[in-house]
Amino acid sequence: MRRETLLLFLRKELRDLKANRQVWPAYLLLPAIAVLLPVLLLALLPVFLDPALAGHDPGADMLRQTIANDATLAGATLAERLARYLLRELGVFYLLMPVILASTGAALALVREKEQRTLEPILATPLRDRDLLLAKLLASVGPALLVTWSAFVPGVLAGGLCGWWRVGRVILPTAGNLVGVLLLAPAMAAVAALLGLRVSARFTDVPGAMQFTGLLVIPASLILVAVLGRPAMAHPGLGLAGAALLALAASGLFARTVRKFRREELLTRWK
Amino acid sequence: MISARGLSRSFDGRPAVEELTFEVPEGSLCALLGPNGAGKTTTVRLLLGLLTPTAGGGEVAGVTLPASDPEGARLRGRCGLLTEAPGFYDRLDGLENLDLFGRLYGLDEAELRRRIEHWLRRFELWEARARPFGTWSKGMKQRLALIRAVLHQPPVLFLDEPTAGLDPAAAREVRDLVSALRAEGRTILLCTHNLAEAEELADLVGIMRRRMLVFGARAALTRGTPGLELEVAGDGGALAAGLRSLPAVRAVAANGRSLRVTLDDPERDTPAVVREAVRLGAAVLAVRPAAPSLEEIYLRAMREAP
Repeated sequence: MRRETLLLFLRKELRDLKANRQVWPAYLLLPAIAVLLPVLLLALLPVFLDPALAGHDPGADMLRQTIANDATLAGATLAERLARYLLRELGVFYLLMPVILASTGAALALVREKEQRTLEPILATPLRDRDLLLAKLLASVGPALLVTWSAFVPGVLAGGLCGWWRVGRVILPTAGNLVGVLLLAPAMAAVAALLGLRVSARFTDVPGAMQFTGLLVIPASLILVAVLGRPAMAHPGLGLAGAALLALAASGLFARTVRKFRREELLTRWK
Repeated sequence: MISARGLSRSFDGRPAVEELTFEVPEGSLCALLGPNGAGKTTTVRLLLGLLTPTAGGGEVAGVTLPASDPEGARLRGRCGLLTEAPGFYDRLDGLENLDLFGRLYGLDEAELRRRIEHWLRRFELWEARARPFGTWSKGMKQRLALIRAVLHQPPVLFLDEPTAGLDPAAAREVRDLVSALRAEGRTILLCTHNLAEAEELADLVGIMRRRMLVFGARAALTRGTPGLELEVAGDGGALAAGLRSLPAVRAVAANGRSLRVTLDDPERDTPAVVREAVRLGAAVLAVRPAAPSLEEIYLRAMREAP
């Protein structure tokens, strides 16, 4: 029954998302930013390269120095190096997006069932704890990844075409970008969602769960993205290793979440 | 069959239910009565394996309590639950909601579709099936919740306040369905505040306030003290004194036009009492066998409860 159950919850969650206009902004805004950001940054390329800024704008100076020292960008003009650098670094956004969406989705997963009074009928079915949690995990991570990957294609197209416009070359995503979006993003989203699920199981109201997620889970996940995600964009090997490590961490965290899951606490702590 | 043996549960050291022992034979309907906070919902959750007892155990649908998975999952698969709140997803329509829960109970698609259509038509919800659940009326929601409870054809049903908040017509419909489900041989535990509902439907009655105060066959509980009720035109008080002189009469209590006469053998002595009442000049309007109502039994149990 497990595969069916997972698909069932995923389908339910997607139908619910489709009908819930309140969450549409989050699911539409982040992909829109992902597509517009490369266009905006490459449009501003001449500003970053303006010689008049040299020595006056510490940010622009640091950027020039960074791309000058980056061996992976060697052999291209300054403008192309900068364009490649910016697009590569933007790959981090495709890690942020699933982390934010998956953790908030998971933080709501159980507490919203409590609020809608659907939790008891769900717990009264033969569904086992492990299946319920796996279904909720998939239902949080699945839509987040779907949105991320759907935004990645137009984002890459926009970046590539803007590269052609600005530096006369189509700039494709790096291997690090691909490893990031295809492997690191799901692993990070799974860890963030599992943390969100634990929050959801403990809280008795949606605002409380959202506040806790916003104050602790999302910032902690963002630190992970910054520490692991940014270097992984330039070094795909690091991305692969990070994804494997996070997948391992996610499976350990999942086993612990199942072990700590108490049906009766969910029922009796809800007032 | 539902059986509880010394079933107890505390929350943070505070007892919610204590030493519940009772048995509901297969095919019977037991009404569990009690005030708010008496532990009825906790009892249902314990019997369904959603809560673990702090002491005691039992057996439901052939599964021994307490039951952890996979036995717990087997138990839940053999029981249907109607919760106090309907508990469906507001943004999904009726069909989608039932489809989700039907599949969680392991029903295959073709059979599930057939049963959903059968029940939605029977409950006159078929036309509303594609409308979001959030737009349904309270009565419609409650009927859908009842459908969910029976969709997988469980032998045991737990119904928590099935008619609460329903209009009289919808409540009648739900009661008829509950009655029909019992006639099909299902074992039903019905938690209710509605004493008339319990009186109408139940084979067994349990009155609880944390502990089981009264438990037994409804017919036996309401048989009570032998006697009769007389209704007369005018004041019954004057007649009461006259009737007390009859040797068969043990006691007479008058309340306005109504008299309650306690007898040794009502079948033998009733004609003599009526004859005497007429002889004393009373205009007898009605004669009924006296029996304590469930309400009286309930109120007495609550008064005498520790």
